[in-house]
Amino acid sequence: MPDKPSDLVQGTLDMLILKTLALEPTHGYGISVRIEQMSKGVFRLNAGSLFLAIQRLQRDGLIQGEWKPTENNRQAKYYALTAKGRKRLDNETREWGRQAAAIGRILEAS
Amino acid sequence: MSLLRNMVTGLRSLFHREQVNRELAEELGAYLEMVAEEKRKQGTTGEEALRAVRLERGSLELAKEVVWSARWESFVETCLQDLHYGARILRKSPGFAAVAVLTLALGIGANTAIFSVVYTVLLKALPYPQADRLVMVYENLPLPNYQNNRNTPSPGNFSDWSAQNTVFENMAAYSNRSFNVTGTGEPVRIEGELVSAAFFPTLRVNAALGRVFIPEEDRPGSSHVAVMSDGLWRSRFGADPRVLGKKIFLDDQAYEIVGVLPPGFHFPDPDDQLWAPLGLTPEERISRRSHFLDVFARLKPGVTLAQAQTQMNLVARHLAELYPDSNAGVAAEIVPLREDIAGAVRPALLVLVGAVALVLLIVCANIANLLLARASARFREIAVRLALGAGRARVVRQLLTESALLALLGCGLGVLLAHWSLGALKVLAASNLPRAEEFNLSGPVLLFSLAISLAAGLVFGVSPAFEAARGKVQDALKSGSRESADASRLRTRSLLVVLETALGFLVVIGAGLLVRSFLRLEQVRLGFQPEGLLTFRVIPRGDRYNELTQRTIFYHQVIEKLRALPGVQSAAAVRFIPLTLATGRKDFMIEGRAPSGPGQLPLAAYDIVTPEYFHTMHVPLLEGRDFFWSDSPQTQPVAIINEAMAKHYWPGEDPLGKRFHLYGRDDNFPWMTIIGVVADVREFSPTREAEPIMYFPIAQFAYPDGILRDWVVRTTGDPVRIASSVPAAVWSVDKNLPVTRMRTMEEVRSISLASQRMNLLLFGLFAALALALATIGIYGVLAYSVAQRTREIGIRLALGAHRKDVLRLVISQGMRLASLGILLGLFGAFALTRLMSGMIYGVSSTDPVTFVAVAALLGVVAIAACYIPARRATRVDPMVALRYE
Repeated sequence: MPDKPSDLVQGTLDMLILKTLALEPTHGYGISVRIEQMSKGVFRLNAGSLFLAIQRLQRDGLIQGEWKPTENNRQAKYYALTAKGRKRLDNETREWGRQAAAIGRILEAS
Repeated sequence: MSLLRNMVTGLRSLFHREQVNRELAEELGAYLEMVAEEKRKQGTTGEEALRAVRLERGSLELAKEVVWSARWESFVETCLQDLHYGARILRKSPGFAAVAVLTLALGIGANTAIFSVVYTVLLKALPYPQADRLVMVYENLPLPNYQNNRNTPSPGNFSDWSAQNTVFENMAAYSNRSFNVTGTGEPVRIEGELVSAAFFPTLRVNAALGRVFIPEEDRPGSSHVAVMSDGLWRSRFGADPRVLGKKIFLDDQAYEIVGVLPPGFHFPDPDDQLWAPLGLTPEERISRRSHFLDVFARLKPGVTLAQAQTQMNLVARHLAELYPDSNAGVAAEIVPLREDIAGAVRPALLVLVGAVALVLLIVCANIANLLLARASARFREIAVRLALGAGRARVVRQLLTESALLALLGCGLGVLLAHWSLGALKVLAASNLPRAEEFNLSGPVLLFSLAISLAAGLVFGVSPAFEAARGKVQDALKSGSRESADASRLRTRSLLVVLETALGFLVVIGAGLLVRSFLRLEQVRLGFQPEGLLTFRVIPRGDRYNELTQRTIFYHQVIEKLRALPGVQSAAAVRFIPLTLATGRKDFMIEGRAPSGPGQLPLAAYDIVTPEYFHTMHVPLLEGRDFFWSDSPQTQPVAIINEAMAKHYWPGEDPLGKRFHLYGRDDNFPWMTIIGVVADVREFSPTREAEPIMYFPIAQFAYPDGILRDWVVRTTGDPVRIASSVPAAVWSVDKNLPVTRMRTMEEVRSISLASQRMNLLLFGLFAALALALATIGIYGVLAYSVAQRTREIGIRLALGAHRKDVLRLVISQGMRLASLGILLGLFGAFALTRLMSGMIYGVSSTDPVTFVAVAALLGVVAIAACYIPARRATRVDPMVALRYE
């Protein structure tokens, strides 16, 4: 493995999961695969932190789960964003953009 | 919202744990399969895919644990598990559980009961709206021979204060008054108050039925009106709402009932049932001679106590300039109502709280000791848990949960004990603590009880828990290597015993000082002989007794009737019998001596008596003669003084024949000639030294305060035996006068010591408890140590040591701990007992006799506690001991 997968910036995992689910509802494994793909292998989630985050988001009412058959006809719990989750994602995306731009400006200053 | 959702989901998963876990397991299982499938798809061989999956599975189990323990309900569940386990452990050792819970219950019960007293007396709001804005206003008198910063004000000062202050919303006055209620059945006397018009508005209390007084009714001679308590309304009028407008006969006068107060209302005294207007005459309103009103006020919103005091100081200074003769130097003193009610008992209550808290600490030390002993027994169990991978924190938590369980059980039983003891406490405190009728286990008290229980659980649980979770697992599992851990445990236990003995010493010293003080009080020379005296109260009031001669005839007739009773030697009447905390004072001027300055008239206590009063009380007449019935308004005005007055005002002179005059130079009062000197009597209370007092004969005292209330009868046998015939004797003269407060003088004396008796009793109980606990502590540690040293003792005996040596060895080990504890306790006592100086009489707070006696007592108890384990040690069979282990 050339590049060691990076640790996520504290607090961003929730945002990434919300983003993933905003595209399309999916199950836990789907989330981890998609995050890995979209980040081109930079972020790899272990099952512990993934399901801990899922439980947290569920309890906060940001996502909600439903048992459904997968394409391989297996039962899996599919998660989808709630309205509240969508609002949170929008807020966090905007905030993230603002902060990233600001950090970028600071780092680029000579 | 989300908190609520979290709670709901949490509770759901707590109650449906199985289902929730299954769901999580299923979800994780699906995840795992997907991983395996993906691996296979990527072309990994079956074997490698399986290995990858197995790797993942390991982390999945962890994931399950991580997810589960992140939920708050898992914390609760672990607690429940621990509690469950703890309960099982306790059930397995019922002896330990019973001893621990019982001692805890005693400690917590005592603390709860005392706190309920403290809460009611010192913390709970008074039952009036915004009661924290209510203050009492007193005169502060700095006379050369009389200083009192809580002197009841004169009506003149009350009038001027009300008119000139700018800091009070309302100011009112009252004066205690009992009423003879007649009309139906036996006459009864009902306690009440004469109150100024602003009385109820100041309290912000209104009538529940009818109305309170209007200002026009607070005038002399205006129609007689009264309001009554809810209790009187129910008991005497059957809660009839048509009672308004009815007449009630008070002291032979018809009063119209205009209102009934809300249930539970009382002010100022709990037994007050009737209130009538004060109705001062215009002359009385400006009088500054008699100081008999109680004055209270409500602070204006936003005005602080200090601001009010500053402004009242200005008013008082102004009055001193206007009326130098009566007011020079007289200041106004503002005291918050709560402080006025509870201030005097606060120090003693706080000392009691301290003592009972010490008892709880001793209980904690004792239970910690028991737990440490058990830690030895459970050593293997805990080592196994540690070896199997339980975290030390987890083990400590389990053990602390067990302590909390003990504490909660102790709390439950303790609250029950407190509940039972509150009844007794109410009786004990009735005559010496304010608001005793309100003692109960209210919410705050129960909360306090729970809080101290949990705190106690932590205190006694922490050290044993850490002690148990310490130590190396490998060492622990090897049998026979327990000594090092046990030795450290013994050190901790010895320390606890030293602490326990020291705390116990403190409490017992407190009790010892109170015992010494009480013995002193019992021996105080009161100046009269209470044995064989009966006392009761009959107050002749009403139209028939307006004139002095009518009253005099009444007293004379009743006394003759009483004397005629079989078993009666003599009888007399007096304003107030001694030891009832009642006294009045008057200004006077000695013939030929000018006052040293304006307002600097000497002041002395006074009483008014019938002839034969001193003879009946067995107060020795030192010089001159007693009053006679022939001393009358037509003969020379006379007075008798006590020894203290003679010594103070006529030192080295013969006071007989000297003359003085009441109230400076008021011509309404004639010169009075001293005709006798009597021995000093403790008038106010057994603890207050006799002060100068002057006695006046009833037949010459025509003023309104010349009404005698209390009667004394000297009997040949037991005074109780004539008690039943007294009312008939009184009623043969006037059948409308109630006879109340029938008591022997011994009872009066006993009541006058009620607060000392209560302190002594409570402290005694605490001390007994502390002593018992300390004894158990010493015994427990020694027994443990002997059991542990069986082999050593066996070797000693095998090598030829005498049993006597072994006995000495063990006892000296115990006594080292005990003496260290006693020594520590001595230091503590020297530092702390001065807090008790207000509770003790006639002994110093570092009384050497008490200190030595208590140290000796603790020493003896400690030897007794050491003796049993020591005896057991001498019975050790060397052969058995050497085979041991």
